[in-house]
Amino acid sequence: MAAIIELQKLCKTFGSGENQVNALQDVSISIEKGDIFGIIGLSGAGKSTLVRCINLLERPDSGSVLFHGQNLMELKDKQLRQQRRKISMIFQSFNLLEQRTSLGNICFPMELSGVPQKIARQRALELLETVGLPDKAEAYPVQLSGGQKQRIAIARALASDPEVLLCDEATSALDPKTTGQILSLLQKINRERGITVIIITHQMSVIEQICNRVAILDSGKVAEIGAVEQVFSNPQSQAGRRLVSPAVAEPAANWNIPIARIAFNGGASEAPVFAQLIKQTGVEPSIMGAATRNVDGKAFGTMLITLPEDEAKKQEILSFLNGCQGVSAEEVRENV
Amino acid sequence: MFDLFSDAAKVAAQMEILSSEYGFALWETLYSLALEVLFAYVIGLPLGVLLVTGERDGIRPLPRWLMAVLNGIINLLRSVPFLILMIIALPLSKIIVGTKVGTAATIPPMVIAAFPLVARMVESSLREVDQGVVEAAQSMGAGAFQIVSKVLLPEALPSLISGGTITVATILGYGAMAGIIGGGGLGKMAINYGYYNFKFIVMWAAVIGLIVLVQVFQSLGTRLANKCDKRLSKKN
Repeated sequence: MAAIIELQKLCKTFGSGENQVNALQDVSISIEKGDIFGIIGLSGAGKSTLVRCINLLERPDSGSVLFHGQNLMELKDKQLRQQRRKISMIFQSFNLLEQRTSLGNICFPMELSGVPQKIARQRALELLETVGLPDKAEAYPVQLSGGQKQRIAIARALASDPEVLLCDEATSALDPKTTGQILSLLQKINRERGITVIIITHQMSVIEQICNRVAILDSGKVAEIGAVEQVFSNPQSQAGRRLVSPAVAEPAANWNIPIARIAFNGGASEAPVFAQLIKQTGVEPSIMGAATRNVDGKAFGTMLITLPEDEAKKQEILSFLNGCQGVSAEEVRENV
Repeated sequence: MFDLFSDAAKVAAQMEILSSEYGFALWETLYSLALEVLFAYVIGLPLGVLLVTGERDGIRPLPRWLMAVLNGIINLLRSVPFLILMIIALPLSKIIVGTKVGTAATIPPMVIAAFPLVARMVESSLREVDQGVVEAAQSMGAGAFQIVSKVLLPEALPSLISGGTITVATILGYGAMAGIIGGGGLGKMAINYGYYNFKFIVMWAAVIGLIVLVQVFQSLGTRLANKCDKRLSKKN
């Protein structure tokens, strides 16, 4: 399938001299139509700059932003504004017009593009239905909860009939339950309207819940990119490991015992790996740290367990673990 | 002073002045106020908008030298004492309204004194608008003019109204000084009859009239600002 958005070698620097910050360094990402693409990174990784470069709210210093193969950087102001209508955006702080009702907010982008008022109103009412707030047409933002505000913002973003929806930390200000609801709504929009969704977040759970592809951003560079399952189960980069299993990525330096790192790469969640390990090898390992998740019945994550000093026993344990489906294990030496 | 009050004939004379001239003075005050506020906003509002949109990272940046000139002019006009500014600006009245005396002649100097205040007031109101909302509008493809007319001004409306109220009160205050160069109205009455001619009843009546006007405009302005501020609206 053809890429709907292709970012090529984006570079962006803020400030100069000692205060210079390289927000983006040679970032290349290709996003296909219909993707729910996650971009994750710790704060300061350059995520927000990156998403703002997609609709050129922020202009990269170099590189190109292709939308349907057309380089947005080369467009004149007016043409760019035309294209922006096809790339909607929602924000962490919702950014609703506070002096307008929900209906007025949803009508706003249609007003900008000159849709007749009556048609705009009709469409806005339909969109309120879509986001599940048909009774809030006349409510002002101050009367809405955070989740409701984001729903209105989503309806507003859909009003221009976009092909792409950019979500800049759209759920970061919401509680977990509301986050779940908003993510389901985004998923529904992606499925039913075929809108490509690009999600910027620092929350692993957001990526896990709805994204199919993910890029990990670290200090302005793409550390890792690929299918969510693959990246999360077996992160290749340091940044990836830090994100996926922050608790166990690094054993503490003062553990003067052999440690094994076990990675669960999507084997059956209910497989009794440890029970069998103990039965078969007779060891009694202690769990030093664990961060595992169950995604669609598959186990993902990492675990640190103690190993016996005996070299032969060690090898027996490691080879048993490596023999289990979807599990890999290695002795961690670097910090011990 | 109490001697003057005790003199029944003088009191009667002052009452005579009040009854024959107070209404006209009030009218003059109100219509010159209306014109001054109108023209101060005709100049000050666009200028205030430019001060915000023309900034280096504003929505339509202007050349830095131009911004420096605009800011310089505003600061200059704001720092000259009104009385002096008025006298300096009087020749301009001759050009614009054809005379250097009378109520009409005071309008140009008043506008020159008031528009920089309006520009600053508008500027600070527009700066209160959440930058994120502007960004959202840009992401929807809004142009600079649309952002000003559909985002900045409507979102800042309550604050603009509050600023307008302050402007009205300030111009009313200037009006008293305009009496010195022959501007009509309650201010002139207070100065000419009261201060220069020791007709204190007339002076106080005029001053009280001004006080009442300021009170009325202030409470109307506050009420209007609150009424149209949807951020304060009651829960459903």
